[in-house]
Amino acid sequence: MRPLTGIRVLEVAEIWAGPYCGTLLGDMGAEIVKVESVQRISRGPIRPRPGSPGYPDGEPGERPWNRVANFNAINRNKMAVTLDLTRPEGVDVFLDLVAGSDVVVSNYSFGVMEKFGLGFDALRHARPDVVVAFMPGYGNTGPYKSIRSMGMSIDAISGHSALRGYPDLDLSRLSPVHHPDAVGGVTAAFAICTAIHQRARSGKSQFVDISQSEAFIPHLGEVFLEYELTGKTRERRGNRHPAMAPHGAYPCEGEDAWVTIAVRTDSEWSALCEVIGDPGLAGDHRFATLENRLQHHDEIDDVLSRWTSQHNYQRVTELLQARGIPAGPVLDCCAATFDDPHLQERRYFDTIQHPDAGTHPMSGPIWKLHSESESRHEPAPGLGQHNEYVLGEVLGITRERLDSLERDNVIGTVPLEGADMGGVRRANRAAGGS
Amino acid sequence: MSAAILEGVRVLEVADGVAGPFCAKLLAEYGAEVVKIEKPDFDSMSERQWAGQRAASPTSAEDAAFFLHLNSDKKSVALDLESEPGQATFRDLAAKCNVVVESLRPGHMASLGIGYQDLRDLTPGLVMTSVTPFGQTGPYRDYQYTELTVFAMGGGMAREGIPERHPLMYGGEIAGYFAGTAAAAVTVAACVGALMTGHGDWIDVSIMECMAGHPHQIGRRAPFAYNGELDPRQEPRTSAAGGREPYAVGTFRCKDGHMSFLPLGPRMWPNIARMIGRPELTQDTRFIAPEDRVKNRVELEAVFQEWLDRHTRAEVFQAANEEGIPGGPVLTPPEIMADEHFIDRRFFRQVAHPDYGTLTYPGQPFKLSDAQEIDAVVAPGLGHHTRAVLSDVLGMNGSEIADLRNRGVI
Repeated sequence: MRPLTGIRVLEVAEIWAGPYCGTLLGDMGAEIVKVESVQRISRGPIRPRPGSPGYPDGEPGERPWNRVANFNAINRNKMAVTLDLTRPEGVDVFLDLVAGSDVVVSNYSFGVMEKFGLGFDALRHARPDVVVAFMPGYGNTGPYKSIRSMGMSIDAISGHSALRGYPDLDLSRLSPVHHPDAVGGVTAAFAICTAIHQRARSGKSQFVDISQSEAFIPHLGEVFLEYELTGKTRERRGNRHPAMAPHGAYPCEGEDAWVTIAVRTDSEWSALCEVIGDPGLAGDHRFATLENRLQHHDEIDDVLSRWTSQHNYQRVTELLQARGIPAGPVLDCCAATFDDPHLQERRYFDTIQHPDAGTHPMSGPIWKLHSESESRHEPAPGLGQHNEYVLGEVLGITRERLDSLERDNVIGTVPLEGADMGGVRRANRAAGGS
Repeated sequence: MSAAILEGVRVLEVADGVAGPFCAKLLAEYGAEVVKIEKPDFDSMSERQWAGQRAASPTSAEDAAFFLHLNSDKKSVALDLESEPGQATFRDLAAKCNVVVESLRPGHMASLGIGYQDLRDLTPGLVMTSVTPFGQTGPYRDYQYTELTVFAMGGGMAREGIPERHPLMYGGEIAGYFAGTAAAAVTVAACVGALMTGHGDWIDVSIMECMAGHPHQIGRRAPFAYNGELDPRQEPRTSAAGGREPYAVGTFRCKDGHMSFLPLGPRMWPNIARMIGRPELTQDTRFIAPEDRVKNRVELEAVFQEWLDRHTRAEVFQAANEEGIPGGPVLTPPEIMADEHFIDRRFFRQVAHPDYGTLTYPGQPFKLSDAQEIDAVVAPGLGHHTRAVLSDVLGMNGSEIADLRNRGVI
């Protein structure tokens, strides 16, 4: 049995950080009810052009909002209801749901839930031991609390952007990055678990204040403490490392194919020279010690690249790992990952049959539980797919009332005209790239 | 008075690198009692962390920084797990714990007689979390790794950088920290399960899988699965630009540093024009439709850049916030520690260290309305708590402890 079995979570979230938190809690066994609305969806444009990216076979189909690749990837194992939280009818139903739930998580901007009348006090009134987690970019207090953020701006403000990129190029060439959303999501899941754990012992309600920025800064903790110890700000390193050389990505046979290699000790360097089969290299005093190798890193990179480019990345990895040298291919997140024998053997991917999107291999949980021989999961829900079950069967709202709510567009399964104005275009395009 | 949120949870840590120790640090920061098991001598297990104290090396300050950061709020017990009495002591300790966090090579704990099966027999509610680069099974499980190689294998690297150059790692041990946080989350979830059912679990966390299951990897992998769409490295202004305002996406030079932007979409064009003090541009025929701005983005970027060059990060940040455009200044650690927002939220913490004086530490990753925050305690000296833990947790007396010490076990 998954450990959070019996815990119900209401997720009022868009894009990445909030939904990812819900997904992780779902992987732990919690029942996730994703609350959306027909007024504002984060499932791509309502009428994308045929051939738009991110849909099965490039075909948006009749219900494109249920066929968006990245939405379906990140929302596994959830139920979905719709509720217009800008109207009292929607808020009332939401509060009824809260009464039967354990957790409410939202990554809306600061103040949005309060504006709906769904701040912590209102939620706690509906459910006295509820755990509530709000996770705006910079937290729920402080001068930046209302500032709109995306992963990119959080990355900059948290100190990571200053450490990224090629050291010889201006920061304006930095790749866009969204890692802080992921950190925010996983940190929120951790925070919620601590609150559930305490609640199981004390019965206490808890408001969890998550700043995605403060979740991320500890991931750079040694950089901050290094500054504290030395008074110096760390320089950008690219792929290099002050205590390991060579250390980098090297071209392999094939298009845009790369292998990473990290040599930690002089003996690993000797072993690497043997694998390359150049006895002169091992005896070359320019490369004998770490200090020498750091000084002559460019020359080593040339020698190494000549060798790696004659082999594919699997071969280089196997040859070096056989000698205990850290090496590994740069796997893209598409074909290379799907084809990876390690992930396959660990059954990381799961074949998912989605009623609107078809059957595809999808990514699974990021941990394995000993108690579970197989970790299977359910496809992402369609918009409003579980209105009948959650609102009807679980909450006991009558048929007549459900029909009336649907007539008034408080609930529904089809987005209203213009409903794709929310965070959606971002999420949709992220399918192609951000 | 409230207790710390994880008060009463006791954790044994046998871990090196970043992911395992960070997982346990997160538990410690929220009130769990974390006992870090280290070798009585200074080799393998603690080598990297302690290098900073031993000798000047190219990374001695960095190693010290790692150790101080990853091990604050923990207790250190020096115990030789290769010896039979050390293993027996470990089993006794585990029987009094809720959680074991370990990052030894797969199978090693079991070979020492302290694997999950051994410990579960003593305490069925035990949660054991194994955090390793590739997990407990699969062809790579015994592979050597560093942050560089596992980040690459997890798929994080392929898209970082520009097309004509090699792919890049991020800045720091990003994969290790991410996996450590995921491990902490699922560890506490399993503790909830143990509270409810009396049964713990053994959790297998692979750093590679954590990166492969990162939301942005899975969000890119799905379009490939659905439609064969590829996702190569791109120039920054084009790669994030789809559907957004391409001339204003990414990181830009300004008067005193850099700013990053990610506007929400074409509807933000009037906001951007106002931000740069050029509202009339929305009437300019070259820039009316989103397609026009994509087509003329180089021209528009020049206008944008011209404005940026005349303003500081603080000015640009304020102007962006006034218009609701997500943007943020590129900051360095001293700038972040001096930033009014983090000061107002009391995020950073002062911790006294016997040798280094008072150090400013990054604080807790989240705050709770009704739980006591623990006072931060500096990372422990090697074996600093050996006697106390053996005495308090196991009830050993002085002569028993002296006996273990004389035999080199502790």
